[in-house]
Amino acid sequence: MQLLLSSVCMALTSAVIGFAYYQKQQFYPAVVYITKSNASMGVIYIQFFVIVFMFGKLISKIFLGTLRAAEFEHLLERFWYALTETCLAFTVFRDDFNPRFVALFTVLLFLKSFHWLAEERVDFMERSPVLGWFFHIRVGSLLTVLGVLDYVLLIHAYNSTLVRGPTVQMVFGFEYAILLTVIASTAIKYVLHAAEMRTDTPWENKAVFLLYTELVIGFIKVVLYLLFVVIMAKIYALPMFVFRPMFFTLRNFRKALNDVIMSRRAIRNMNTLYPDATPEELRQSDNICIICREDMVNHSKKLPCGHIFHTTCLRSWFQRQQTCPTCRLNILRTPTVNSTAMPRQADEAAAAAAGNPIPAAAGAQPAGGVPPPAPVAVDGNQARANGNLAGGLPPNFADLFGDATGLPNGLPNLAGLQIPPPPVMPMLSPFMMPPHFGYLTPLPPPPMPQDLTNFTDEELRAMEGHQRDHIVQRLKLLQNINLMLDSAGIMMSQYQSLAARLQLTAATPASAANGSAGSSVYDMPSTSATAMAQMEAHQVTPTAATSAPSPTMPIEKVTIEDLGADADEDDIPSTATEAVSIPNSDADFEENSSELGELRKRRLKFLEERNKPVAANERTTAE
Amino acid sequence: MAGSALRRLMAEYKQLTLDPPEGIVAGPISEDNFFEWEALIAGPEGTCFEGGVFPARLVFPTDYPLSPPKMKFTCDMFHPNIFADGRVCISILHAPGDDPMGYELSAERWSPVQSVEKILLSVVSMLAEPNDESGANVDAAIMWREQRDEFNAIARRLVRKTLGLPP
Repeated sequence: MQLLLSSVCMALTSAVIGFAYYQKQQFYPAVVYITKSNASMGVIYIQFFVIVFMFGKLISKIFLGTLRAAEFEHLLERFWYALTETCLAFTVFRDDFNPRFVALFTVLLFLKSFHWLAEERVDFMERSPVLGWFFHIRVGSLLTVLGVLDYVLLIHAYNSTLVRGPTVQMVFGFEYAILLTVIASTAIKYVLHAAEMRTDTPWENKAVFLLYTELVIGFIKVVLYLLFVVIMAKIYALPMFVFRPMFFTLRNFRKALNDVIMSRRAIRNMNTLYPDATPEELRQSDNICIICREDMVNHSKKLPCGHIFHTTCLRSWFQRQQTCPTCRLNILRTPTVNSTAMPRQADEAAAAAAGNPIPAAAGAQPAGGVPPPAPVAVDGNQARANGNLAGGLPPNFADLFGDATGLPNGLPNLAGLQIPPPPVMPMLSPFMMPPHFGYLTPLPPPPMPQDLTNFTDEELRAMEGHQRDHIVQRLKLLQNINLMLDSAGIMMSQYQSLAARLQLTAATPASAANGSAGSSVYDMPSTSATAMAQMEAHQVTPTAATSAPSPTMPIEKVTIEDLGADADEDDIPSTATEAVSIPNSDADFEENSSELGELRKRRLKFLEERNKPVAANERTTAE
Repeated sequence: MAGSALRRLMAEYKQLTLDPPEGIVAGPISEDNFFEWEALIAGPEGTCFEGGVFPARLVFPTDYPLSPPKMKFTCDMFHPNIFADGRVCISILHAPGDDPMGYELSAERWSPVQSVEKILLSVVSMLAEPNDESGANVDAAIMWREQRDEFNAIARRLVRKTLGLPP
């Protein structure tokens, strides 16, 4: 097909020249005749392009060999775009339109095509399993030739612009400058790929180098395009023909910038948040990085979810996605869970450090050495695990109660239940009860996540690192969180059963609201009474006592005012006796959990003891 | 040493050749370009595609396995999850960021843990159990839902066609 076309073209050209020479018989008149006739000129132009095309084929045979299908496809696609842009450029410079001008644009397009091909070839290096020395010679010489040509043409354009002022040469100068940056980035990529091929181990930093190359070259290109648009707009008109490539350049630059930022973040996260996998961990796993399917010998990282990958593989994945490749755990969110209670933990540790030989922040403890004593063990005679829990918790929870007083209660109906005062029960807990019940006694509202922006460097350091100390700190933190969750869970079940009961009692709100109508309250086995009992344990104020039987606060307040102070006094013993009867009457409540039952019994005992004097008092006042 | 994508593809090719899953054959079209594969998928037994052998082409990106490959059947296909031009639309082939159909869970999406083998196995199960909520081929989805006999007839015709038998 191509052969046919070029021979037809050749025949046409010979016919035109032959005809002209036959008519004019002499060289000069024949040339004049041809240039004067549009048809002949057309034929000559076509012949010129055919020659350029054939020349291009020859050059690509020399430097590139056979083009791959993908390369050819891409070349065609980009060529058509470039051609339309060239036609657009013609419109700007329609005044200087002449054969020389067309020739210059042809040369530009011709060179551009080879730049694209060189780029494709170098990209192909990454995909190709084997490349001979011949490939390297070809690519090397192609890049050199193109670079030199670009440079020469750029200098030429620069000089002619200096001499003759702004002409179409400015466009060429700019285009060749862009092409030079293309050659530069291609050459850098080539060097990087070639260097990687020479080594036997994967070159880990190549991706980073490539990223920064993209960034720098992208930046230069963006600056060049912007300059060009501004200059062109000042001298001629808006250069429509560069808008498309400029748009793509801007987009690529933005992407490169984003990649660099993400990559930096990923590297920083990996260096600070995730420990290197130890040889034992590697031995325990199957020792294959699931991302690249290769053995992990060194530079592996362990994520919070326990999955291990190559550092470099992880980095390139984290550039796109901040999740664990295996289980899709969001790795950016996980460490914040770890650090939720971090400040408290560190405070605690610091507080306990006074009686402890090893400060929590001491990172010098060798891994695998003697296990250091838990830094928070307050009671030396307790088992270590208990020491961690019970000894570590009271200050922690005391703090939390402090916070909790400021919290809005999620269940306004149960407002009376809220906030037991800190000093009463927590102090009792480790001694009176099995340690794991200790924190349940006060039943605090579940703690809110702490403000994560407030830790000091020291607190952070206590949690980071791979030393035993740090891991112990982290484990303790997790245990604390676990305990808090347990307490929140038990509270929720209490709330639930309370809410169920409240619906029942709400059916007779009038009787419940009426504090003096004690008889109805006596008969009703209501959980609001339990709520009251819990509150009674901590709050002895008569206001709260009356409030308990009624489901809502506003009503309570009214009743308090209506009843007056003496009615309150009447109420206290009544509700207390009511509360005593609950464990017997409330079968399903007890089913809820034996722990709760245990708790309640203790609390009730406590109440009874405390109410005796009150009742006695009352009796005296009544008398 | 070549690029990591190439090494991983070579490793997967080796794995697939040494221990091929049932009903699946896959490998690079030519040994000097490991980024374009051809796969042959046998229609799962007990379905309307039983007995067919469906050729498909997989094109891998340079950053494989960070980005998923593209898969396209090179024979005629009529299936709710295969576009008319042969492109396969299953969630495992979609990068987690984009959701062309707007319903996929990110847990089903591409991740570097996936592999050619897993993709092809997913395609086999897709052939067996089309997801008629994804509208890659709406006609096929409607026919599969409402006129199953007709759908089965078309599928059987396609099977005969892939085997080079007269319809």
